Amino acid sequence: MFDQIFGNYLVYAGRISKEQLTEVIEYEKTVRVKLGLIAVAEKLMTSAQADEVNQLQAIMDKRFGDIAVEKGYLTEEQVSQLLKKQGNIYMVFVQTLIDKGFMTLDQVDAALNAYQEEQGFTHSDMDDLVSGDVDRTVKLFLPANEELNDRLCGIAVRTLLRIIDSSAYVSKAYFVDELSADNFAMQALEGDHKIISGFAGTKDSLLAIAIPFAEEEFERVDLDALDAVGEFTNCINGLFATELSGEGIDIDMVPPEFYENPVVLKGKQFCVFPITIKDSVINFILSVGADISIN
Amino acid sequence: MANVLIVDDSRTSRKILRGILEENGHVIVDEAVNGQEGVQKFQACKPDVVTMDITMPVLDGMEALKMIKALKPEAKVIMVTAAGQKNKMIDCIKMGADDFLTKPFDKAEIATVVAKMSN
Repeated sequence: MFDQIFGNYLVYAGRISKEQLTEVIEYEKTVRVKLGLIAVAEKLMTSAQADEVNQLQAIMDKRFGDIAVEKGYLTEEQVSQLLKKQGNIYMVFVQTLIDKGFMTLDQVDAALNAYQEEQGFTHSDMDDLVSGDVDRTVKLFLPANEELNDRLCGIAVRTLLRIIDSSAYVSKAYFVDELSADNFAMQALEGDHKIISGFAGTKDSLLAIAIPFAEEEFERVDLDALDAVGEFTNCINGLFATELSGEGIDIDMVPPEFYENPVVLKGKQFCVFPITIKDSVINFILSVGADISIN
Repeated sequence: MANVLIVDDSRTSRKILRGILEENGHVIVDEAVNGQEGVQKFQACKPDVVTMDITMPVLDGMEALKMIKALKPEAKVIMVTAAGQKNKMIDCIKMGADDFLTKPFDKAEIATVVAKMSN
């Protein structure tokens, strides 16, 4: 996610063009292949095993390497060797910017410093960002000290990266009492915690979730497209409920609700977590312990 | 090959499930959008297998399971759950559920479970 976050900052700051960013990211894909492919190429896993792990990733909130170790296909040592072979996304991104002549190392360094200052990140935060680790990166953009909020937001982003688009990236989350949206799909969770989660979009932005999830070419955000977004929300909440049930916390999901026309969401300091998928910004909405009214 | 009734309030889930089942040679005899409609259509089309979502409006999947099993104890009902509904899964087993499918769907799992039911 580092390449998308920092790359889009470089575009926003006028350091590179959008076309140059696309070129860098496309090039990265050719040099930084997926872990499963490397494992198969190294003959550490069969392609059937890699496919199985990929399928399991869709229903488990775990990384490829963790599932492969659990299944006994790889050892932890083999996973670390494969990760080394895959390469760090920060190194690959910066090297590509320089190799293509879009920026010098000094310019990249200066842009990183400017980005750090603008975001108010510490040196440790920047270490998390350049680590390439999704969990460490997502945490940087979440409000601190809101445990359930941060956990569910983390699961939402990881699930979105796995099932919808691996090039999606996040911006800083914030709390509000009111938010306008052109359309909204949500699901309430009941039981030991009262939670509302969902995705709010502007114009047709929610198609960025609906189309890949349902594998259907919706032309606009109608009730069918929102149904797909609702089902995706249901998958996220299911993973969250699984995680909590392991701690003896019981929550249950109620059927999703959809709002096809513009709405105003009103609540008590609910979280808005912007996620960009292919240039469409959608908001993951989360309210823990308080209702959201929709008008 | 089995004649399957799909009961799910989500159009997306019904469509995905239908696609996978048809790909595996099964016939979808009908679809229902809630438990109440599911019980009615079960009586009308007498399917070999029912896939029943748990979380639905009007009448949820667990109530519909109970009603179908009361009508026909040997009916094959596969419950469809989101991850995280473990407690409900246990209740469903007590009510006679024959198997489970988890969302998001895994093609191989669906093929295996429905084939097992139709045998």
